[in-house]
Amino acid sequence: MSRDFLRPPGAVPEEDFIGRCIRCGKCALACPYRAIRVAGLLDGLTLMGTPIIRARLSPCYLCLKCVPVCPSGALDGRVKKREQVRMGTARIKKKDCLTWQGTFCRSCYDHCPLFNEAITMDSELRPVVNEKKCVGCGICEHVCPAESVAINVIPGGAG
Amino acid sequence: MRITTIRRTVQFLSLGAMVAVPLLNHRGIAAVSGSFYSLNIGPVLFTDPLIAIQSLLATLRFEAVLLASALIPAGIALVLGRVFCSWVCPQNTLSELFDTLSNRLGLAHFFTLGSTPLIRYAVLAAILAATLLFGFPLASLLSAPGIISVQTARLIYEGTVGLELTLIGIIILTELFLVRRVWCNHLCPVGSMLGLFKCKKTMKVVLSEAENRLCIHCRECAKACQLGLNPIAGQLAPQCHNCGACIDACRKMTGERKPLFFRF
Repeated sequence: MSRDFLRPPGAVPEEDFIGRCIRCGKCALACPYRAIRVAGLLDGLTLMGTPIIRARLSPCYLCLKCVPVCPSGALDGRVKKREQVRMGTARIKKKDCLTWQGTFCRSCYDHCPLFNEAITMDSELRPVVNEKKCVGCGICEHVCPAESVAINVIPGGAG
Repeated sequence: MRITTIRRTVQFLSLGAMVAVPLLNHRGIAAVSGSFYSLNIGPVLFTDPLIAIQSLLATLRFEAVLLASALIPAGIALVLGRVFCSWVCPQNTLSELFDTLSNRLGLAHFFTLGSTPLIRYAVLAAILAATLLFGFPLASLLSAPGIISVQTARLIYEGTVGLELTLIGIIILTELFLVRRVWCNHLCPVGSMLGLFKCKKTMKVVLSEAENRLCIHCRECAKACQLGLNPIAGQLAPQCHNCGACIDACRKMTGERKPLFFRF
């Protein structure tokens, strides 16, 4: 299932999420960064009222305040540490990335909350995503200065 | 004091809370948080029984906390009747307001529906059946109080509202021009579900049969009822949501005789 937004941290897989989320909006109220938005009818009838994060606008800072307030189990309360989160996985488009194209930039590397773990530098100081560690918070996507943002979080996974 | 005076205060406070909760939450004060779908007051969780049952049907998973949190609202309905509807629900407040307005303007309605309870149970059953069939939380999209509270929060947080509010607009227009108070009276699944929690001891409006408290048949009670119910004909349940307007009207005419009153 392809979608262009992320679910809040701790979200169960998308096909379960649609059924489990009761659209109560508590996670959006709990988000201190207003990163969690409430989807409208224009996002699709089945998505209406569910929480979405558009990382490019406002990413998740992994404070995890939304997870314990979910009453329905749509956000899994067992997710307590940022390392457990799996909102998606960042992917670098090398042809758009400044560093991979020869200009020096380390915005994504510097801003990654799992510093030097989820995004590392290779021997030529180019950023590389470590898919095992990346939690998909989207901060890299938010800070990427490249004209056509060169790092995107592919939504998916559970947690 | 008139019951309606107290009720208006509660209605006003619940509208105020709907605005205050998101404002306070955003300042980090989250002792009370949520919406009319599901609400936290301190550590206590309250969930709309309709939403809890819907979750059970849509996911076929037994979420113990969610189901348990519906017990307090269900218990309140069991003791006091559907007071959530008449004293708290923002849709009822809106509908009451527009009904008063349309009466002042002398708007006529095209249809009337009798006071049969069949429609409301058929609508509720259809919504729950569809929820089970499609595994989709349909009732959430049809909960008027839920929609109004979440969209109020959304307006405060995001500066926009969603097209979910279309439902509220349709309800108001329908009630203004087609059928008077049809949503609360016949269609609302939230109210129908709450109405299922009742017993012999549930609070209700009754007409006294004591000789010194006889009804004077002025019909003011029936005129005061926005839902078109007639307390002296005894045809109240399950539509009556204990708003007390009939009792106020009765007191005005009969003073201390009080033929009409709430009883457990």
